[in-house]
Amino acid sequence: MKSSVPSSPRPERGRAHTVLALLATSTMLLTSACAVANSDTAGDAGSADGRTLRVVLTQEPPTLEPCESSLTATGVVVRSNITEPLVERDPTSGKLEPLLATGWRQTKPTTWTFDIRPGVTFQNGRPFTAKDAAFSIDRAVNSDLACNVDGYVFGDAKLDVRAVSPTRLTVTTEKTDPILPLRLSFVEIVPRTTDTKAKVRIPIGTGPYAVTSWQTGVSISLARNADYWGKAPAYPRARYVWRSDASVRAAMIDKGEADIATALDHTSADKGNTVAYPNNETTALRLDGREAPLNDIRVRKAIGLAVDRKGIIGALLGGLAKPAAQLVPPGVVGHNDDLAPAPYQEAAARALVKQAAADGVPVHRRITLVARNGMFAGIAEVTEALQYEMARVGLNVRIRMADTATHLQYQLRPLPRGVGPVALLIMHGNQAGDAAFTTSQYLQSDGPQSTFGTKDLDRRIAAADALSGKARQKAFADVLAYQNTSIAQYAYLAHMRGLLGLSPSVRYRPDSATGDEMRLSEVTPATAGRR
Amino acid sequence: MTSFLRKRIVSSAIPLVFVVLGVFCLARLTGSPVDLYLPLSATAQQRAEFSAAHGFDDSIPVQLWDYLAHAAQLDFGTSLRTGESAGSMVLKAFPVTLQLAGMTMLLAILGALLVGSLAAYRPNSLIDRIAGLLSMTAASIPDFWFAIMGVLVFGVGLGWLPTSGTLGGPEIWVLPIATLLIRPFGVLVQVVRGSMVGALSAPYVKVARSKGADPKRVVFGHALRNSITPVLTVAGDLTVGLVNGAVIVETIFGWPGIGKLMIDSILQRDFAVLQAAVLITAVTIFALNIVIDVCHALIDPRVRQAVPA
Repeated sequence: MKSSVPSSPRPERGRAHTVLALLATSTMLLTSACAVANSDTAGDAGSADGRTLRVVLTQEPPTLEPCESSLTATGVVVRSNITEPLVERDPTSGKLEPLLATGWRQTKPTTWTFDIRPGVTFQNGRPFTAKDAAFSIDRAVNSDLACNVDGYVFGDAKLDVRAVSPTRLTVTTEKTDPILPLRLSFVEIVPRTTDTKAKVRIPIGTGPYAVTSWQTGVSISLARNADYWGKAPAYPRARYVWRSDASVRAAMIDKGEADIATALDHTSADKGNTVAYPNNETTALRLDGREAPLNDIRVRKAIGLAVDRKGIIGALLGGLAKPAAQLVPPGVVGHNDDLAPAPYQEAAARALVKQAAADGVPVHRRITLVARNGMFAGIAEVTEALQYEMARVGLNVRIRMADTATHLQYQLRPLPRGVGPVALLIMHGNQAGDAAFTTSQYLQSDGPQSTFGTKDLDRRIAAADALSGKARQKAFADVLAYQNTSIAQYAYLAHMRGLLGLSPSVRYRPDSATGDEMRLSEVTPATAGRR
Repeated sequence: MTSFLRKRIVSSAIPLVFVVLGVFCLARLTGSPVDLYLPLSATAQQRAEFSAAHGFDDSIPVQLWDYLAHAAQLDFGTSLRTGESAGSMVLKAFPVTLQLAGMTMLLAILGALLVGSLAAYRPNSLIDRIAGLLSMTAASIPDFWFAIMGVLVFGVGLGWLPTSGTLGGPEIWVLPIATLLIRPFGVLVQVVRGSMVGALSAPYVKVARSKGADPKRVVFGHALRNSITPVLTVAGDLTVGLVNGAVIVETIFGWPGIGKLMIDSILQRDFAVLQAAVLITAVTIFALNIVIDVCHALIDPRVRQAVPA
């Protein structure tokens, strides 16, 4: 009797079964393929064997090319780990220390001479000589490779570089450059066999670690350089992975899946496993002084007074910052100790805006507040707070959150046309430790990241740049004060602090250079017996 | 069947063409990658040379023609970011996403068939209400929130699962799959239940029951088979959505799949990789749609006859 039930005919049921069987079989194949592909049980960052230092970054480095090491994501892996410069700046004292050069001196007004360290070999076994140093500087600064170190550190300068002997190098500049050794601290030394026509994927250097593999999208592995000329690092291996979400990076530290995690977020990190450190980054609003109402200095100063720095830092940045009064933090040559952050004075700010309005300044013209997603933890909230505070003093502000590429269009010359007045939220990191790198970019009237300036300011910057020692410090400090009183292109927010996740199994003291140059050789195991 | 297949291929190819062309043009509207790849001090000449070397100085129609001509020879260009072949980067990333999406959908379908059938078997019972509540909740939970909560609870709190990563044992699959699974599972339970309720009230089921047929055979043998077509339709759409929507899971859990590759390519204005990723994904989705349609046609002959010429 059951056979008389009018269901679908037999052949259709067979097809249905075939479809389901196909679906199941396909997925089983996929599953089995995965199991084979992922038979390593150590995890992406490696196992906690005490011999591998596991570091989790915010993003995969776009390149490991040494001449791009002024890019944060590249430098944090490459600099002083895989490759090394001739000299390096002590991030705490600011002094230059010998590295691949044992000494240096100014032998002519435009010429510096460097003594090259003997007995150093590259990771490919070739000896390091002055010719390699000359080659590296030429490749990074004088070539057509379009290296970032060229743009950020050397500008348009061309260098005459000569290896006068295997252990002596001379570098001649077109104009006197009192901080040339500091600039050269950004040039990572590579062997003469390095490609000069294209950027390299796997760099070779003289550093304490060498790259053993780069699995795109997964990890970068390093191994200790057995022939390293200096003290051997504590960990035989190091492995970098990347997770874009700060809470995942923090979780990896909490769970023991990583030893060091960069750029943690104060809202998700366990305080017991984090260390805060000054990261040389300063946040500020860059006000486009070419466009009304921002072309009126009263409006620009009003914005400075309208910002409640302490409130924003306390409520939105977890207290991990200090109110700023200039673009460079303490420790950078040129930092002006006498400048105090503008006080939060809403009434005074409102009065300045009213004065400007009374003189015909169109203060109600809409200002676009542009900020970059992911610039720092809590940026969306900070941007909204800034919009609110500017609106409270009578300005009309709308927010535009942008990705890096779009933000760069607003940040760099040629600046976009027809976009109206723009207040750009910037975060400037002075890695080099000298205000010249800031003023040439952000204050000079034709600086690549400046919207306007004055001839007087340009003259002051040029004069300061030709000085050295205490005179240089004072001249740049005066430039920064002058910008605040007479230009006011910037309404400063804060000198930021980074938050580093540290596993209890390692010892490491971050400094102001850590965000750009994390020296793995300075990391040691917490317990001697672990390795 | 051949005629059906031909018509479906033609009708499905049209959106594929629009997607590929649209992404090509929209990418160029986001601006030139020059600022991202050249130093601050790059001269106008260097900028011009960079643009010329990558064809960005040509008009968009010329760039498009050049792209299509090379793509026809399976040459998708070179990544600005890594210097690697864009095609090989995509082909490395794609299987990762397919593995994730494939396993997720298998589990979602099997789970939904079971839970949805049970709920439909006794409408308005406790099981039905619980299933309804859970499926509605599952379909409503944001992926990223579920992922982060999963990491915090099962990774850090309980210590049962790794927080992220692609290397390791079967445990590495749990959180990514659970995150991807939750929404399709929730939707499919609703679809299975609705479809099964309809099927179980159909005359042939009533007749079968009145004649004393085995209840399990009636539910799982007759009603389920006849209500599978809408489930497959929705599952197909959800699979397509999974391939596209794996971005969050891949980003949070560090999976080097196609979704993360696309996001990175957009942010880095790496046009060659973005175009290759979109084209290969679109072709895959196109093929998936054809497979789904063929499955429909195999199960239900009315589908074969319903396709317009």
